[in-house]
Amino acid sequence: MLEIKNLTASINEKQILNGLNIRIKPGELHAIMGPNGSGKSTLANVLSGKNGYKTSGELKYKGKDLNDISIDERAQQGIFLAFQYPTEIPGVKTNNFLRTSLNKIRKARGEKEVDALSFLKIIKEKSNELGMDEKMLSRQLNVGFSGGEKKKNEILQMKILNPNLVILDETDSGLDIDALKIVANGVNTSRDKTNSFLVITHYQRLLNFIRPDFVHVLSKGKIIKSGDMKLAEQLEKTGYTGII
Amino acid sequence: MINKIIDRFEIKRLKTLTKSEETYRKNCLDIFNRLGLPSKRDEDWKFSDVNEIFSKNFNKFNFESVKSKNQNVEFIKDLEHNYILVSNGEVVSSDFKYEDKDKINLTQFKNEDFSKKNENNSLIYLNHALSEKGYSLNINKDYKFKKVLVIYNYFSSELNENFLNIRNKIKLSKNSELHIINFIIVSSSKKFFSNTYEETVLEESAVLKNIYLQDNVNDGYFHKFARYKLSKRSNYSSHIFPSGPKFNKFDLEYDLSGDESECKIIAATFLDQNDHQEIKTKVNHLAPNCKSYQKVKKVVSGESKGVYQGKIYVKDIAQKTDAYQLSKAILLSENSEFDSKPELEIYADDVKCSHGSSSGSIDEESIYYLMSRGLNKIESTKLLVEGFLSESIDTIKSTAIKKFLQTKLTSQIK
Repeated sequence: MLEIKNLTASINEKQILNGLNIRIKPGELHAIMGPNGSGKSTLANVLSGKNGYKTSGELKYKGKDLNDISIDERAQQGIFLAFQYPTEIPGVKTNNFLRTSLNKIRKARGEKEVDALSFLKIIKEKSNELGMDEKMLSRQLNVGFSGGEKKKNEILQMKILNPNLVILDETDSGLDIDALKIVANGVNTSRDKTNSFLVITHYQRLLNFIRPDFVHVLSKGKIIKSGDMKLAEQLEKTGYTGII
Repeated sequence: MINKIIDRFEIKRLKTLTKSEETYRKNCLDIFNRLGLPSKRDEDWKFSDVNEIFSKNFNKFNFESVKSKNQNVEFIKDLEHNYILVSNGEVVSSDFKYEDKDKINLTQFKNEDFSKKNENNSLIYLNHALSEKGYSLNINKDYKFKKVLVIYNYFSSELNENFLNIRNKIKLSKNSELHIINFIIVSSSKKFFSNTYEETVLEESAVLKNIYLQDNVNDGYFHKFARYKLSKRSNYSSHIFPSGPKFNKFDLEYDLSGDESECKIIAATFLDQNDHQEIKTKVNHLAPNCKSYQKVKKVVSGESKGVYQGKIYVKDIAQKTDAYQLSKAILLSENSEFDSKPELEIYADDVKCSHGSSSGSIDEESIYYLMSRGLNKIESTKLLVEGFLSESIDTIKSTAIKKFLQTKLTSQIK
């Protein structure tokens, strides 16, 4: 699904990723853990195609080079980034935006666009699963949403858009334990043999609920250690200083 | 070079003038000839030099009135409404089918006030010298309209460099209520200049809600001076959506002269190509306990120019004034321009007045977020612009009107 070889990335002359390697196959869930400033969010941004980064190395998604593909095309081809800090967009109604987004992606997949009525059905079902108040969706996108609501809204988008590669950028941060379980459940029920997850997190907490296949430790823009869930448990005990 | 001295013959052309009216008009014309078209030498016009704009785009003053043979007006569907159809400034038909007709008086405008007034805007003098079309609308005491009144302001295809002077008057008697949609429809593909003077009087506890909306992109040049007089506990609110014409200047003056009167001005515009649009307001707090609220939003793209000049004046006796003013602009291109001049002049000491103005390019983080959900850059920008401007219709209560406005607003964004 995703193959990264020797990836470097810098922004404003500052090098953040220093030769990162990772390979994610369909059906796998990888967790990337690391201290502040290790390059976790940069990795998420670079994968989504955010402007402003200078990169080198190989970035392959479904066997195709990602480097020259724009943000929106990446999304249309099935890459989804759940933002660490979802942007507040005044004036844009959440459900209108979601429908526009879904139809863009369906169109790119060669599927028929959904009409307002079918969309309402989809959104009702998915928001119920996440314990979200439907009324929230007629509000302006992320405006005045609590931290938990914003994160749930990201997971809702993930469920609606049904992507192939999901990057969760610290989706667990700022969530209470109930919201965390809901988010984890949202991820678990979306997992299947065809899609892959890259979960970026500080803590083991989320991983207790979503059980990763692989755990990597990122430090100074490089993966310095890889393992399974045991590595996350070890990290929780010793902290990053015990490993780095 | 255009001859900017206007011959008195233009007044003679107007028929059936009484002696006093003719004198009044001649005086107004003399003043206009002395002042000329407003130019950037005047502080109030420094962002919109009408003299230059007119000289560049028109070959001569043509004050001939134009009667249109037919009015190709598509009436608004899905909205039960009364209407007045005004063609090139002249009322051609009206229907108040949802109302008690005895309570409403619609006539052709007839000026009866020939007193000399000091105006800051020379286009007002020109209007008073030469206006021959317009309407006068009176609503009786205690009468509240059941349905909205749509005033279709139609500018016909025959217009070609014509300079129209239109004068209207609206009076809401004590405790009456009226909701208006001023819908501007331009059929002419040529240039023309519309110079409107409008006076609105709200007697005690009267309520007037007004929506101004341009229907389509056109080559019209619009100037409108409107004066509002608000008596005790009266309430005026307006939503202005003026996108479309090449040039559009609103010079709006509100006199809050009765205790506890309130006015609200909300405007949202999308400007494209080399459109030029200005909203200038002057809110005069002349009595205690009055409220005013202004929020102006503009999106400028291409080589367009948006201007907002807003002044709040608070007289010494106008204690407990609550005045608010905000302008926000998004600039979509390097060659677009937004000028803002907020002004406060306060002589009372117990007041709450605030103002703010901001402008900038579109938020890149928001674009990134939307693009990461599959929308391309143009679609993302459009959605953000639409969101930015649509906030202005959130306060409108009627769902049908809201829906109609939303469709229009969306179609204005290019």
